[in-house]
Amino acid sequence: MKRGDILTENIIFIILNLVFLSILFLFVFSKMGSPAIFEEKYSKQIALIIDAAKPGMEITLDMEDAVKSKDDNFAQNLVFIDNEKNLVLVKLRERGGYYYSFFNDVNVSIVEQEHNLLKKNKLVLEITDG
Amino acid sequence: MDKIISIYWFTVLFLITGAIVYMVAIFYGEPFDVRDAESHLLNVQIADCFSRGGYLPQVIFDGENFLINRENLLDTCKLSFVTEDFSNWNEQGQYYLEVEILDFDTKSPFELPPPIRIGNFNLRELCNLGKRFPKCESQKIYVLDKNNFPYQINILSAVRKVEKNVI
Repeated sequence: MKRGDILTENIIFIILNLVFLSILFLFVFSKMGSPAIFEEKYSKQIALIIDAAKPGMEITLDMEDAVKSKDDNFAQNLVFIDNEKNLVLVKLRERGGYYYSFFNDVNVSIVEQEHNLLKKNKLVLEITDG
Repeated sequence: MDKIISIYWFTVLFLITGAIVYMVAIFYGEPFDVRDAESHLLNVQIADCFSRGGYLPQVIFDGENFLINRENLLDTCKLSFVTEDFSNWNEQGQYYLEVEILDFDTKSPFELPPPIRIGNFNLRELCNLGKRFPKCESQKIYVLDKNNFPYQINILSAVRKVEKNVI
């Protein structure tokens, strides 16, 4: 075997391994920052916040990681609250969304969602008597 | 070219990759289980409803009679057991609540209202039996009526919602 062959073999071997590892890391990181995970996390977190809330409270929630993970071309409101059905829906992509129910019978309204969520990454909830 | 096409090397690589992919998928595929927090919050809401500064509020006890009963507990304590219609959740009932008012000294419910039980009764028997069973929390609080007569209130809350909290 010539010296040149050994070098080529090793380079191809290293490149193949790097490609393999990069695909693996891409998979892991794509799972970590997946909008689906943030949708579930925030809908449950907001539902629990509402369950613990009392009328008269104003609650601010930092949703920076969720806003960063949302689909770039998705420009709708990210959080919806249905006071009739006691549901919180968090939607960070066109096809998707996660909803979770709360039991506290209060009236929840979202204050300036678009401005706060997209510019300051903050969700402000106002709790009033249901 | 031995190394490049080495079956052994790539077998090991695929095995490691498979294991990592499996672990990541399991870790991130597992839903966040928030039922412990939910049953705790349900308990806290009931405790807050039955005790205002350590005293029974007027809406619960008017000085002579207990006004609270099975029919008005949810309204009085501002609770709603309506859930999303997911996996037949609304039909089954995802919550259970039990409130028992006892004489603090004798621990007897004599002349006191019967225990108030609301929601899916089956959840009580399955409390905390495992991951795929309802999560429950019980709590005892001590309150006084306006004549400073002491009561013990036992609260038990259970939350099912298995499908959205456990694989």
